[in-house]
Amino acid sequence: MRLLTTLAYALALPIVLVVVWWFASAGSESVFWPPLSKIVGVFGETWNADRWTGDVLPSLARLAVGYLVALVLGVLLGVLIGLHRPVRAFCEPTLEFFRAVPPPVLVPVIALFLGYTGDTSKVVTIAVGCVWPILLNTVEGVRGLDEVMLDTARCYRLSAWTRLRQVVLRGASPQIAAGARQALSIGVILMVISELFGANRGLGASIVQFQRSFAIPQMWTGIILLGILGFLLSVLFRLVEHYALAWYRGLRQADRGA
Amino acid sequence: MNRSPARTARRGLATALVLALPLALSACGGGDTDEGADGTTSITVGVIPIVDVAPIYLGVEKGFFKEEGLDVELELAQGGAAIVPAVASGQYQFGFSNTTSLLLAQTQDVPVKVVTAGVNATEDPSADMSGVLVKAGSDIKSPKDLEGKKVAVNTLKNINTTTTNELVRQDGGDPTKIEYVELAFPEIGPAVEKGDVDAGQVVEPFLTIGTQAGMTDLGSNFVAADPGLAVAEYFTSTSFAESDADTVEAFTTAMNESLDYAQAHPDEVKKILPTYTDIDESVVAELNMPQWTSEIDAESIEKLADLADQDKLFAKDPDVDALLP
Repeated sequence: MRLLTTLAYALALPIVLVVVWWFASAGSESVFWPPLSKIVGVFGETWNADRWTGDVLPSLARLAVGYLVALVLGVLLGVLIGLHRPVRAFCEPTLEFFRAVPPPVLVPVIALFLGYTGDTSKVVTIAVGCVWPILLNTVEGVRGLDEVMLDTARCYRLSAWTRLRQVVLRGASPQIAAGARQALSIGVILMVISELFGANRGLGASIVQFQRSFAIPQMWTGIILLGILGFLLSVLFRLVEHYALAWYRGLRQADRGA
Repeated sequence: MNRSPARTARRGLATALVLALPLALSACGGGDTDEGADGTTSITVGVIPIVDVAPIYLGVEKGFFKEEGLDVELELAQGGAAIVPAVASGQYQFGFSNTTSLLLAQTQDVPVKVVTAGVNATEDPSADMSGVLVKAGSDIKSPKDLEGKKVAVNTLKNINTTTTNELVRQDGGDPTKIEYVELAFPEIGPAVEKGDVDAGQVVEPFLTIGTQAGMTDLGSNFVAADPGLAVAEYFTSTSFAESDADTVEAFTTAMNESLDYAQAHPDEVKKILPTYTDIDESVVAELNMPQWTSEIDAESIEKLADLADQDKLFAKDPDVDALLP
């Protein structure tokens, strides 16, 4: 019953929106606001097998690689900076500066160094944009670790590796997850933006291509598909988070109960 | 906290309505023009900051539009793709767009209608406004060598690819083996120089900038498609053409005068270019000028339609007669 209520709450607004869109656009004569029924009608033929293998999957692969690179780099550097006070004092103002630069403006710069076409510049664009929230949140998470716990771990002569894994990374993981979730949405945005320069295939490039050739219903299907993919990615993320941070939820529940 | 589901549902509906409002509003964009007190009509024309639209700037300066009772405001857009929707929805009354884009728009039921010629290519393949650049000393010696190569164009699946394909086809190559990538015109030259792409199709002033930097021009894709190719036109929306026929006629008259004037006065064209483009003076002096004529070349437009059809750009056959005035 409870699950049903949750589900009803989650689905109510999307259903209302779709219904309103469907009927508000039903009699639309405007080429640029086609009826939703027409958009849905061309969805299947637009996103056929060739588009999935040629556009959608390569885009998602670039997103995955860029995001993972950012995750590894962000956590690694974040732990390093977070654990050492001098390094932190040395780096933090600079990091804040880089984080403040909107990643899309870096696209032309990255293209200049890594070439306009090809996957490298696109993956790097995604990674460069995603790394900042992960890095800064990791630094915060590591900094906020309980000193006593760190000292205790040292006193018990846990090896450096065990301390890193069981105390530092685990302790900072709620914060790391928060940064990683932020980075995911930035990654989706950059996946699209990186394809606006020097691309011939890809999800973002397809949407622009539809717009240029005035295939407006097809353009809308691309936008809807992007939204659905973004939603699925966030669901996937929550699932991973759910299992990885199970201990944390338990801890909080115990705290609240006490 | 106690939140009633009914209240939440109401709030959800309100949000939905707010979000849906622009949908309903956008359905009623008008194409009205402001009639001034002195009898002049204000119109907005969407143009691109390139050599091709020099006549309209010249015409405004010379007062050709004033004579017809038109007060022209020129809006610079990033590319033709942004102008077509703006004209179709009545935001601009007229616009400048390449022929293939207009044909594409028509096959997708975007209500556009050509009012007059825009710009034509030259008849000389070695002195045209369009060309395909390769690095000095490149293995690509003639258009057919582009087979299997990576070629940069400003817009995929448009006039630049269909005409470049024709250039390769006429040279005995297979254009289906070309891999096109999309880059903005200013970036194409540097990308060719870096070897990021093997070749790049450009128009003036980027052709002259490229050859001045030592790059080789393989030949004109526009002239290959048709000597004197009808590259672009000025257009309006079908609804505006019907509701404001007088304004359309006045615009056409003034525009035709401007086109003929520009063709007869290349020096004045070169003088007006720096006022709306960033083209360097040393480049302006060397530019290959396009041709301007007040005659719409219907055959040339048919030719472009055939080329686009050959490359399977159209969802359905375009109706060239309906597109032209």
